[in-house]
Amino acid sequence: MGPELTVLILAALVQVVTFVIYAIPANLELGAGYTLSARDRAPTRQMSDRTARLGRAMNNMFEALILFGIASLAIQTTDQSTTYTALLAWVFMAARIAYVPAYAYGLRPGRSIIWAVGFGATVLMLIAALF
Amino acid sequence: MTETTILAAYGLLVLLTILLQVLGGMQQLSLGYLISSRDETRTVSGMTARIERALANSITAMALFAPAILILVVLDRTSSASLLAAQVFLIARIVYLPVYAFGIPAVRTLVWLAGFAATAILYFLAL
Repeated sequence: MGPELTVLILAALVQVVTFVIYAIPANLELGAGYTLSARDRAPTRQMSDRTARLGRAMNNMFEALILFGIASLAIQTTDQSTTYTALLAWVFMAARIAYVPAYAYGLRPGRSIIWAVGFGATVLMLIAALF
Repeated sequence: MTETTILAAYGLLVLLTILLQVLGGMQQLSLGYLISSRDETRTVSGMTARIERALANSITAMALFAPAILILVVLDRTSSASLLAAQVFLIARIVYLPVYAFGIPAVRTLVWLAGFAATAILYFLAL
């Protein structure tokens, strides 16, 4: 297995961890009575700012993951993996790990910079896959 | 262009859509809000809101298109038919973005339908 696919699997696991550290406080704050319901109405209790940030970090990761998944699988299936694309994959990984605490602690403009690093790495990988 | 390069090209199109959405957000919500943790909800309107909806739709389309292409490639079932379907998909999605951004009705739905049908055909070819 190439380094890009290794990173893809690790990135999916980062998303699993993000989901868990979001879901636990979200359930405690909204109450299991609400989260287990069909959620037809908005919750009566509010999530804390930090929990809501973790939720937004998780949603952002879904977008990042779908694009990175394409980049890494396209590179792998066309045998275009190089040290350069492997490095980009690890840069993406590092940025997405750092993104979660950066969002939770409201780093400004750290979070946006970290997001841009992951975004840029994905762009460069897709360009590498094309040519 | 092979199916795989079309997939990579579509990835770049989605990245471009994200970039446009960020630029629109900068204009309407201020950079200060964008780099904050966005604890208060602020919404965009007009073209930026349409680009945001186009982006959400593009992500859904991606989640369906990418597995279809990857299944075809892994199983070695690519053919001239699958290449044509992938090309139709890419062209439809390229047209979809400006058509949504400028709020052209009906055409948007037709273009979306072309991309959707192309994806469905890819799955039939993969089976």
